[in-house]
This record gives sequence, structure tokens and C-alpha cells, in this order.
Amino acid sequence: MNILQDLIKENRVWYCLDCGKCSSICPITRWETRQHTGPRLLVEKSIQGRGDDLMDDPLFWACLTCKRCTEICPSGVNFSEFVRGARNLARSFNRTGDCTHSEMIQTWGRMMTNPDMRQSRLTWVREDMKFSEDSDTIYFVGCIPYFDPLFAKIGMEGVKIAQAAVRVMNHLGIKPQVLADERCCGHDQLWEGDVETFQALARINIERFKATNAKRIVTTCSECVRTLKLDYPQYVGGHGMEVLHLSELLAQHGLSISEPSDDLPTTRVTYQDPCRLGRHLGIYDAPRQVIEGIGLELVEMERNRASSQCCGTSCWRACGQVSKGIQVERLQEAKATGAETLVTTCLKCQIHLKCAQNDPILGEKIAIEIRDLTTLVAERLTALSTKEFHEEVAIGDR
Amino acid sequence: MADPKIIVFTCNWNAYNGLETAGAKHLGYSPAVIPLKVMCLGQISPGIILKAFENGAKGVLLLGCPPQACHFEFGNRRAEEVYAEAKSLTMLLGYREDQFRLDWLAAGDGQGFVDKVEYFMAGLSGRKGRS
Repeated sequence: MNILQDLIKENRVWYCLDCGKCSSICPITRWETRQHTGPRLLVEKSIQGRGDDLMDDPLFWACLTCKRCTEICPSGVNFSEFVRGARNLARSFNRTGDCTHSEMIQTWGRMMTNPDMRQSRLTWVREDMKFSEDSDTIYFVGCIPYFDPLFAKIGMEGVKIAQAAVRVMNHLGIKPQVLADERCCGHDQLWEGDVETFQALARINIERFKATNAKRIVTTCSECVRTLKLDYPQYVGGHGMEVLHLSELLAQHGLSISEPSDDLPTTRVTYQDPCRLGRHLGIYDAPRQVIEGIGLELVEMERNRASSQCCGTSCWRACGQVSKGIQVERLQEAKATGAETLVTTCLKCQIHLKCAQNDPILGEKIAIEIRDLTTLVAERLTALSTKEFHEEVAIGDR
Repeated sequence: MADPKIIVFTCNWNAYNGLETAGAKHLGYSPAVIPLKVMCLGQISPGIILKAFENGAKGVLLLGCPPQACHFEFGNRRAEEVYAEAKSLTMLLGYREDQFRLDWLAAGDGQGFVDKVEYFMAGLSGRKGRS
């Protein structure tokens, strides 16, 4: 692979009809005011063999790979995957996107490729949580413990999500196992073109998965689900396990809270479809079933499901006025629904949208509570369930 | 590793001056120490610290200005925030408590520089650590 021509063939870029639907729908194109750009232009540049032009385009690294354009393309051009491959190609010309967060996220990803590394990543575990070493379910925590200290200042829920996930699984009678030395799933590395690091991380993870007796992997992160489910088999090899987002597991169990309770006010919420869970995997109904199952009133934003808007940044490449514009617009859309809470099932959506809310000027205009579905479910179960469960969650709260 | 590397980030105003004094006075300290001067300790970010570890540093020591003596007034506070973030990350990644520290040094305190660096290194060699 790794040659522009092959990428063009592989992702059906030749089939572009030049209709411009992608550029009219692309969230980046709408907000990129400094220079004319768009997926269609990138496709044109690549077909003409203008590799340098392609890689210098502002959209090239800013592309969210949210699949909005792929969804709408009448010719089936797989633009997201094309960008992913072309970024890998760009790295061989020593080109990378913007340096964000002082590259610490990429750095710890590379550090994790050392197979001898012994992390201490289970500090979030509390005594009331039940685990079992020969469980058939692995709870893949992902980068949550790492993001927690970095984004606590913007109010990200962090390890509370992992704690809630285990408690919710315990409530369903599942005692999951957590791996003391799992690695980052490699999603960000893969999408920014660092395939080598991705493969190293994936190999270690697969080795760890295979050392257990588990049959399925449950995660609370949309990106982890996509990566473990689709990209591990494609790039490294299969692990033979079922990969589920926690919302799918809850929907399978038919989690429902129907009895009315004073502790349980009916809150109006709206749901942000993460691009990885929605367009990439087609999981739209499970999170909605769970939201309704726990007795919340769901109101949809104007753009929802397959036409949902991305959170504005992906794989930690490029952040700036374009991302901010997308985020503010999305938050205003959420607020316009009249919902009190914006629910999401992706850690990154929460980080990016909460970061945008720090704007002191916009303040109230984009103020809406942002919660992960997992913590919301745990909270509702707490309010309903036995007093014992109630106390456990209260104690466990960091 | 035969040649352990210790990265010492010093701020330009107090800590680096201390290092220069140590040099001027011909005070000896371990050749494993690699000092890196930055204008203010509040300038560095957790990513830079992780990169030092990624590239094989056995320990990272941050030396800034004494309390209330920051040249830029708020640099100390910022350095403490960065330290807290980076500390959480290094601990998660499996590095020991004493492999990464934040300390301060007054300008002109050459002996203090040697003492602080030697103390940090003693902490490192106390137990077998990751290289």
C-alpha cells in the first residue's frame, strides 16, 4: 500500500463525480474561513497526483474522519479511510498535524509499545466493585485513567465513568475482569497515520486478551469499540472476541426502570451520536433504548443519528477556531432542544464539548450539562436500587 | 543501562544561575546529569517531561525559583500545575515517585544545586528502577 495511487483505487476515489455534496456537508469546510478547502478539492488534488498540495491542505490534518461525507457520497468514495491511509503516507515524508496537548497523548502511546512496561492504572478500583478473573467479559477501560488527571479541570467525568461501568455491570450480575496492563487501543495513532505504533499496541492488547478465557470485550469508549472490532482484525489479526459498547450490553439486557420514584425526576435529555459509534458502526438505537429505559425523556437535536455533527476534533490533531466553531454550534443545537442534559457515549465528545464551554464570553449561551451515558445509568440505578447500592456508590465517588 | 541519564530542567533566572555558580566554583556533580535551561519552568508541559522518559531518562528533576521569587510572578504556580499533571501520568505509566520531582533553587546557590542533584540521584539509586 502506502502509495497514493493504491489508496485512490482502494477507497474508490476515482469514482468521484465532482458533485460537491461532501464539501457542502463537511463540518470543517463550513468553518475553515482562512483558505478554500473541502473533501472534493482534496480528492481532485490526489487524483491529479499533487501529493504535496494534498498534504498541505488545511483539511488534510483537520479532517475529523467523521464519515459524514462518506455517508452522503453518491459514488461511495471512502474519504475517511482515504485520509487515514494518506496520513500514513504523509508521515513517510515527515509530515504530521498540529502539535496539541504538547504531544503527551502520542508520547504515552509510544511509551506503551514497550511490552515490559508495568503500569499502575487500576487506582480507580473501589472495594465495593466485584471482579472475577475467570469472567467471560473483559471491561476494556482504555485511556480513561490517563485523561482523568488532565481534564478534571474542565469537569470531565474521567474515572467516574469506569467506576460507574463496573457498578452497572455488577448490577446486571456480570463480574467483569479488568486487565492490569492493557494498552491504549491505538485509535488515535491509527487515524493520525502512525500505523506502526498502532500495530505494536494492538499486538500487546491481543496477546493480553488471548491470555484470558473471556469471550467478549465491553468498553465505555466509542473509539475503543470501533478499533477493537474493525481495525484489530484488519491490521493485526483477530482476537475472536465479541466487542460491545456498554450501551449495547445494557440494551441486550433490556435494562428498564419503569416504576416512578420521587428520587427519580424525569429529565429531558438529548443525545450526541459519537461518529465512531454512529456512522462508523451503525449503533444508533442501543444508547437511545438505554436512555429511555432508565426513564429519561429523549429529545433529538436537529441533526441526529446518521446526520449527527461531530464534536470538532479527532485523534488530537488540529484544534483551533474551526473546532471551536463546530463545538459551539453543536452546543447551541443541544440547548435549543430544551434538554437539561446532553448525553454522549464517547469520552472525547465530552472532553471537546466541555472544553468549548469554558468560553467566558459565550457562557450561558452554550451552558448545558454534559454527561456520559454510563454515569447517568449508574446514578439512576443508585436512586432506585437498594439502599446498599446507594451507599456503595456514594462511598466510591472519588 | 550503563549510562543513566538524569534530565534537570532549570529556569533561567534562579536555578540556572545556581548551576552556573556551581560551575564557576568548580563544584563537581554526576556526569549523568543533563541540565536543560528554559526561560521559565511554567513554560514546560507534561508532554516534554514524558518525552524525556520516553527517550530513556532515568529521572527528571524540575528546578525552579524559590517560592514568591518567580521572575514572571505566576511561573511557579504554573510549574506546580504542570508537575501535578505530569506526576499523575508518570505514576500511571509505572514510574516511581522519586523518579520525578519538583524543587527550587535560589540564584547563586551553587552548593545547593550540587546538593539537590545529588539528593535526587541518591533517591533514584536507592532501589532498582526502570531505565
